Amino acid sequence: MTVTVSASGLTLRYGGTAALDEVTLRLTEGVTGLLGPNGAGKTTLLRVLATAVPPDRGAFSVLGHDPSTTAGRQNVRRALGYLPQNPGFHPDFTAFEFVDYVAILKEMTDRGARHREVRRILDAVDLSEVRGRRIKRLSGGMRQRVALAAALVGDPGFLVLDEPTVGLDPEQRMRFRELIAQAGEGRTVLLSTHQTEDVAMLCHRVIVMAQGRLRFEGTPAELTAQAAGRVWSSAERDPAARAGWRTGLGTFRNVGDPPEGADLLEPTLEDGYLLTLDDASAEVAA
Amino acid sequence: MSTTWHVPEDDLRAYTAGELTAPRLWSADTHLAACADCRALLARLADPVALDAGWERLDAELDAPRRGFVESLMVRVGVADHTARLLTATPVLRRSWLAAVAAVLLMTVQATATVSPGRSPTLFLALAPLLPLAGVALSYGPVLDPTYEMGVVSPLHGFRLLLIRTVAVLTVGLGLNGLATLALPDYGLRALAWLLPALALTATGLALTPRLGPVVAPVLVGGAWIGLLLTADASGDGTLAPFTAAGQGVAGAVAALGAGLLYLVRDRFDTSTVRFTDFRQGGAG
Ligand SMILES: Nc1ncnc2c1ncn2[C@@H]1O[C@H](COP(=O)(O)OP(=O)(O)OP(=O)(O)O)[C@@H](O)[C@H]1O
Ligand SMILES: [Mg+2]
Repeated sequence: MTVTVSASGLTLRYGGTAALDEVTLRLTEGVTGLLGPNGAGKTTLLRVLATAVPPDRGAFSVLGHDPSTTAGRQNVRRALGYLPQNPGFHPDFTAFEFVDYVAILKEMTDRGARHREVRRILDAVDLSEVRGRRIKRLSGGMRQRVALAAALVGDPGFLVLDEPTVGLDPEQRMRFRELIAQAGEGRTVLLSTHQTEDVAMLCHRVIVMAQGRLRFEGTPAELTAQAAGRVWSSAERDPAARAGWRTGLGTFRNVGDPPEGADLLEPTLEDGYLLTLDDASAEVAA
Repeated sequence: MSTTWHVPEDDLRAYTAGELTAPRLWSADTHLAACADCRALLARLADPVALDAGWERLDAELDAPRRGFVESLMVRVGVADHTARLLTATPVLRRSWLAAVAAVLLMTVQATATVSPGRSPTLFLALAPLLPLAGVALSYGPVLDPTYEMGVVSPLHGFRLLLIRTVAVLTVGLGLNGLATLALPDYGLRALAWLLPALALTATGLALTPRLGPVVAPVLVGGAWIGLLLTADASGDGTLAPFTAAGQGVAGAVAALGAGLLYLVRDRFDTSTVRFTDFRQGGAG
């Protein structure tokens, strides 16, 4: 697979905290998931890759363009679709007007062609019914889709999505996953999320961040495999477990280092993720 | 919709062939959108290809953004359609903002005319340059633009968008100031002494924005202007220094310098002028 986005040594500090600490990564076509606890630096990484803030140190390239030069940055932005974590809207705009506005910011100056593109995108995210409705009168999930439409307009080659599935009902979340999977065909998509199911269902690669650093990079299966032989069931919470919770079956599901003869369970991606984070913080403490 | 009138069959034929002209085309479009009978008739008369084109046009008309009054006016006087659209998203060009600015000007003019009739329009001259500065500062940056983060990474962002907005806000701001000046006929040309300071403050405020941020820069420049006036007031009598001939010369020079500096730092508007620190819900959110 050819590398479309690559970064090396990205570092960005906010006062005393290193929001990004020597992050080096490579992305290929398809959807890459970005997992990490609150404050891990996910949004900061996405903002840097989307050219919203320059890093203090380090370099990166997007689809062959170097964003540290003015011309290169312009080219990156022409190929970019960005859904921020808290997308803002002009509330008096209709869905159509808002996506149209973003299309103008993306340099689509021909009115007819632009309107056709806006209509196509609104159809794709199932908003054609409400395209004439003002954004302030749309539900949260619909607004999220308006923001996704704004990111998708103009057919960008690099999509940066910051927690797009937050606040959606399960049905909408499925619909969003379909849309993102579609978008991932022939494009590079970086998707930050707190939902391990998003990653399990959508992503061909996954990155785990904590405290500004990369903790894991690989396939979802490899992340799951981090927990192989480290998940077991017991009748009571096992004190040896790093984490344990009662399941619907009434037994405890423990992750960590199992005792001799434990009743091992099939690990999930979530187990692998939890253990990766736990290993990382144990490493910091040591 | 009334059922008494229907599109004449000849018109429908012309419509399907794409030959119906305005204003009959408009009545046909409007009526067809609402009348199933005429649509059925149309389908029978139509050659399918031309009909598709007709539907597409109808569809496009139905949900294309409606241009507001100001936007139509801009397009009418030759502003490009997409530029006009960008400007409608500039908060300080909205009616509520313009009304506020007009109200402030009105009060100042009134105060000027009653407090110091015939002497010097100092109060008005001191305030008028601050309004365009504030307008331009507010129409740029994350303070009032909810889509700032989405906009900052778009290829159009940066200096071009800044200039488009600045020119529009300045045109409106200076226009309002000009109207207010007309309400002070007693002072003649003296009442226009705000113009060069206004340009100087705006240019300097913008040029300092990449270094100081979108809040500190205009506040600092505005503060410096008020400080200057207070000093001038304390030290001299008669006309305040900025409004004398020499002061006007200096204001003109500062405006030119500010514009030059702004041009030099133009690339710095390309990335975020704030690290989202004062961006609402930004950062740890
Ligand atoms: N504008 C800012 N000013 C100061 N500190 C910031 C700013 N933005 C982020 N930080 C800090 O940088 C670190 C990383 O924040 P970031 O928003 O990237 O985390 P995140 O992984 O996106 O978290 P979440 O899952 O909560 O969205 C945090 O410690 C945060 O407090
Ligand atoms: Mg975040």
